Amino acid sequence: MSNKLPYQREKLLFKVENVSLSYDTREILQNINFEIYDIVRPGIVQGQVVSLIGRSGIGKTQLFKILSGFKKPNAGSVRIGVDQHLVQMGDVGIVPQDYILFNHRSIYDNLKIAVNHCSKKMSDKEKEESIGHYANEFQLTEHLRKYPMQLSGGQRQRVSIIQQVLTGNSFILLDEPFSGLDVVMKDKVIELLVKVSLSTEETTLIIVSHDIESSLAISDTAFILAKQSENKAATIKQTLDLMEMGLAWHPEIKSDPEFIDLVGKIKYMI
Amino acid sequence: MKDILKALFQPFKVVNLQTIYLLFGIQAMAAIILWQMSGGGLIPGPYKVMHGVINVISRPDFGENLFASLWLTTEGMGISIVLALIISYLYVIPFFKPLAAFIIKCRYLTLTGLIFLFTLLTKDGHQLKISLLIFGIVPFFVTSLVAIIDSIDQQEYELCKTLKMSDWNALVEVIIIGRLDQAFEVLRQNFAISWMMITMVEGLSMSEGGLGALLIKSNKYIDLSTVFGILVIIFSMGVIWDYVLGLLRIWLFPYTKIQTIQL
Repeated sequence: MSNKLPYQREKLLFKVENVSLSYDTREILQNINFEIYDIVRPGIVQGQVVSLIGRSGIGKTQLFKILSGFKKPNAGSVRIGVDQHLVQMGDVGIVPQDYILFNHRSIYDNLKIAVNHCSKKMSDKEKEESIGHYANEFQLTEHLRKYPMQLSGGQRQRVSIIQQVLTGNSFILLDEPFSGLDVVMKDKVIELLVKVSLSTEETTLIIVSHDIESSLAISDTAFILAKQSENKAATIKQTLDLMEMGLAWHPEIKSDPEFIDLVGKIKYMI
Repeated sequence: MKDILKALFQPFKVVNLQTIYLLFGIQAMAAIILWQMSGGGLIPGPYKVMHGVINVISRPDFGENLFASLWLTTEGMGISIVLALIISYLYVIPFFKPLAAFIIKCRYLTLTGLIFLFTLLTKDGHQLKISLLIFGIVPFFVTSLVAIIDSIDQQEYELCKTLKMSDWNALVEVIIIGRLDQAFEVLRQNFAISWMMITMVEGLSMSEGGLGALLIKSNKYIDLSTVFGILVIIFSMGVIWDYVLGLLRIWLFPYTKIQTIQL
């Protein structure tokens, strides 16, 4: 089933160079290097979906904080955008594992805050339309008047993602978006993330996860984060160009023997 | 029935509200009976105290004294909460951290030694009472509010950053608006301190009256049934206030009543 679909790698959008992190004498991350490019597919408006896959406790959350600009690494740099400036807090939207929202505001108000701070100036009518459009697209219209605590985890996750999209963040980091979900829900999240990635050409989703199958199924590129050897810091052990392998952008990829084989190999590697 | 009785003595067992009310009623009744049976001597029994309550309420100046106490408490609480909120919100600005830390430690200062200083600093009895109330309440308010601020998840500030909010916007959204319900709860809890202090400060300047002044006068004449009667009134007023503030919190901040759902 797997076949390579046409694409072009264009501008550099995100560059992680020699990032290392340690606490006292304990090294957590060492020489993390990877790049994310604007992938252009003929006739399709689609952003990029990249995964950072690694086992629990390997330092993924620390890397998540560094990539979002909330933590400074001991060495190395993270550059973002076409101008490749050093990442600052707020440059990257984040969807944390526990989907933090403003609990004192209704879902509508949570989204309104996002759209009010959007980098693109909009009229009140446009803001309303934008909220309505995304709420409808992600089946949240009937929940707009509810408070976050009245929603399920999956619904909160959707609100959290839309909030970041409405702010106009092109880069969105997602921490373990498949964590604690059953198979059906995982497929729904994959569907949702594909939908988000299809919203604009610049949208870049960076998924940090230990779920190999779901992460690979949605990504165009995956970076495998693993320890070089026991008691050593984690680093990028392998880069998987899923587009080149013909494994990207296929909705039924999970049943592809080549894909299943790849998942098995990665399991062994990490 | 056997299961219900067993559940009443087991940790973490959930019993229905009706059973709780029933338990409360039985225990209150038992306490009153025990009180009545152990009575005699100097300590008045429940019957005498109830008489005391009726006597106090029937006094022509009762309404005036009750209003004086309520007004003093409300005024003291109002000023205290405004001051405490300002100090607590400023706590997140490094320059003001030492001030907040000092005020928190002022909980350990005894008011008794400072009454003379406050008498010198204030121009009349009312000001003296208000100042003492504020000085007594604010450190407790600030302690509770700062504890709330300290317990805020760092991710909430990070969310503000990713939503492109400024630091000031984050302060307003997360600490001021976002924790208004908890600040209100702190007010409710600390109202008890204020209400407890009222009798003490009213005793310092009795010209304005108040329940505290009544209490001290009755104490002076060892009119114990009236003293206990006033205490019952003070206690009941406190419980009513607590209940009203609780209802007000739910009305003002409906999301505080919402239970988290796990789907």
